[in-house]
Amino acid sequence: MSERAARVWAWIAATHQGDPPVSIEALCRAAVRRLGVDGASVTALDGLGSRELVCASDRLSARLEELQLTLGEGPAVAGFRFGSPELIPDLESAAARWPGFAPAAMKAGARAVFSFPLQTGAIQAGVFSLYRVRPGSLAAAELADALVFADIALRLLLDDSAGISGSPGYRPVDGLWEARAEVHQATGMVSVQLGVSLEEAFVRLRAHAFARNVALGDIAGDVVSRRLRFDPDPVP
Amino acid sequence: MAASVDERLAQTFVELADTLVAGFDLMEFLHTLTERCVELLEADAAGLLLADARGELQLVAASTEQARIAELFQIQNNEGPCMDCYRTGQVVMVPDISADDASSRWPWFAAAARQMGFAGVHAIPMRLRDQVIGTLNLFRAEPSGLAPAEARAGRALVDVATIGILQERAIRQQELVAGQLQAALTSRVMIEQAKGILAERLQIAPEEAFVLLRRYARDHNRPLTTLVFEVINGTADISKVGS
Repeated sequence: MSERAARVWAWIAATHQGDPPVSIEALCRAAVRRLGVDGASVTALDGLGSRELVCASDRLSARLEELQLTLGEGPAVAGFRFGSPELIPDLESAAARWPGFAPAAMKAGARAVFSFPLQTGAIQAGVFSLYRVRPGSLAAAELADALVFADIALRLLLDDSAGISGSPGYRPVDGLWEARAEVHQATGMVSVQLGVSLEEAFVRLRAHAFARNVALGDIAGDVVSRRLRFDPDPVP
Repeated sequence: MAASVDERLAQTFVELADTLVAGFDLMEFLHTLTERCVELLEADAAGLLLADARGELQLVAASTEQARIAELFQIQNNEGPCMDCYRTGQVVMVPDISADDASSRWPWFAAAARQMGFAGVHAIPMRLRDQVIGTLNLFRAEPSGLAPAEARAGRALVDVATIGILQERAIRQQELVAGQLQAALTSRVMIEQAKGILAERLQIAPEEAFVLLRRYARDHNRPLTTLVFEVINGTADISKVGS
């Protein structure tokens, strides 16, 4: 893990009360405490256009997500095709872009909103959203931390679905090895081998690495060099 | 007689400017830049690192596998001329990586670079005013410095690329800069995913898949990222890309 990722992960773990699993709820609480914002939420997307609020730190966070779902506009429903965050330091300046959402959000009490796609390449699993009651940009360090929160939220969401996030010794971020090109190439290869989406292929790779206590990058290297294949419908 | 360095440099500027206007494709632009730097500046390989909004350098393009490893090695160990170049915003010239001062300054990197067959490294910052967004790095197999004209040409190419990445409208706002860089890194990951899909479909190596993708995009005048999208969502005709 990078220094920053280790620090953010420690914040989340410290916010979590009790034993593992470290939850998305703890992540949202830690985000509010550490990023100088008034609320945080995580929404999951299922790839077919449906959205589900997984966690909101407070009522206004939940309300902002609900407004965007109802109105079909706002930073968290922006295209995100390329994974860029939507950073809106003052909603007043966004009234022309989101004529429904911006005034409604301000009326509800928010002034600044920041949305981060939970995305790696073409895999998009959800959105991590923050708000402030006063206008203002995220400081550079806060923005850097917020992106790491989003990285961890993405892995927690995916690993929840694979059932590995509750295991003892679980760590969501596999450091530099996850940045290796092989991980993403292997994801593409496994998606073809199993005939599944990239998202599911990525989850399967992570679960495979975790179950064997091997670095994700090593598993990916084996897939790319064709020493390891994933076969559909394994014989039980 | 072969075209002079100045003529080839001028051609490259025109080529890069063309990329900037017509359906700008950042990843294709960066790969083209890396290749042209190798040709024009008489390097044996080049790599391009961009800082993400977390402040961490990420490898975006490399002209060879050896350059890719040399770059990743520096990121991993947080040590090397490219890292220093990013931190200081200054050109770092290392004519001979085996010289005492270089080996003692970057012991890990010096050993790794030699193993990859590199003797000289030159790192040029991608800088706009006081913001450093990444570095372009040239590797040479033989020890040698950059001639003043080459150093100037390198700076000019890198400056054009920096402005290309940030684009005029984005320059002043931190929000937009963060978005642009994040977008570049997201498309890099998408390219890797598409390489994997194509490699498995055609039973070839991912690097071969990349060559096919770029060639097909170029021959059909399509942005690389558009083609990558189509491979991922299954609408591209894989057999045509592979033929």
